[in-house]
Amino acid sequence: MGWDDLKQHFGEFLHGYFVSEYERRLREQFVDLNDLFLLQCFMELVGLPNPAAIYLLDVYPFFLEEFHTWHRRMGMDRSPIGSMPCC
Amino acid sequence: MLLKKRILFFGGKGGVGKTTCASAVALAASREGRRVLLVSTDPAHSTSDIFGTPFGSDEREIHPRLSGLEIDANLEARRYIDNAKAGIARMFSHAVAREAERQIELAASMPGVEEVALFDRIGDLIVNRFDAYDLMIFDTAPTGHTLRLLRMPELVSAWITALSKRRRALLSLNKDIDQVRLAPEAINPEDDPILKTLEARREKLEQVRARLMQHNFTGFVLVVIPERLPIEETARAADILRGSNVNVCGVVVNRVLPADAEGDFYRSRRQQEQVYVDEIKQRFSGYPLAWVPQLPTDVNRLEHLERVSYLLMRASEPPM
Repeated sequence: MGWDDLKQHFGEFLHGYFVSEYERRLREQFVDLNDLFLLQCFMELVGLPNPAAIYLLDVYPFFLEEFHTWHRRMGMDRSPIGSMPCC
Repeated sequence: MLLKKRILFFGGKGGVGKTTCASAVALAASREGRRVLLVSTDPAHSTSDIFGTPFGSDEREIHPRLSGLEIDANLEARRYIDNAKAGIARMFSHAVAREAERQIELAASMPGVEEVALFDRIGDLIVNRFDAYDLMIFDTAPTGHTLRLLRMPELVSAWITALSKRRRALLSLNKDIDQVRLAPEAINPEDDPILKTLEARREKLEQVRARLMQHNFTGFVLVVIPERLPIEETARAADILRGSNVNVCGVVVNRVLPADAEGDFYRSRRQQEQVYVDEIKQRFSGYPLAWVPQLPTDVNRLEHLERVSYLLMRASEPPM
């Protein structure tokens, strides 16, 4: 392996490193925002009034997948809330 | 003056005669050749009693040019929940749907659900059935309840706006991640089903709200009787309504003692009443007032209602 190859590989390594770091931060931020969004949609589950609760039943079916990722990430194998029966 | 409006709400403290006044105005308008829809939101069925014919949950002609309908909030909530359930059943397996069922039932019994369902139905009527009638009259539940109902779209709409803003931020962040990975898998905000559903909801609410605030054809009529507590409550309601930009287009003073009542007892009562009559004149000076005397009998038959209708449309002076 020549010097030029090494330089190129090293460059790619650095590029990958920083990009993945950036991606990780974005993903973290995404996850936090998503949790906040879920909380706002299901405030009544933690005992807070939610003025739009009944209208959110409309979007309820779309949430199952996101909710599933959330409870897995939080270390719960099965859905902690019966109303979200993903597993 | 009232009859020039397209949508009228009747409100006031419980037991002051909202239903009677609303029915009387509906009858008067239909007599003038206008197509009228009288909507009762009162679970006590008092409108059915006056007209001597049951009101159903669908529009039904109860008198020439006068249709009636009773909104049963409980039933409406049921209908909404069933819809949501059907949505879930469409998208998920049987087992999932069955599991969700129990919890949705719980959601249905949460406070506020019936209110929202009731509001939805009212909104549906004033947006989608507007052209079918010249005048829609809503006989509403006692004051506090109705005030909350009228301010609800604002509250819920603001809430949904906040939610969809968050959702948008989420989606755009997701797009950023895609760009880093050079592997587009994110959903466009326009295609996101959650965002779409939320926005559609909000649009509907805004439509209803806009119609409620349109002063030239929507008005709120407050019914009061010359007594201490009703006056206080009505004055408060008028302030709140004005503050929420709802047009209060008149105050009906119901059950004023008739001038021809004889005897010491009535003389004394009338003196007492005069205090309240003066107070009403002073506190509601900004609104058109209509005075309806107390009748010798209850208003529970059509002939009685016609009499009230006549008195209401004609009387603008206190009867003394």
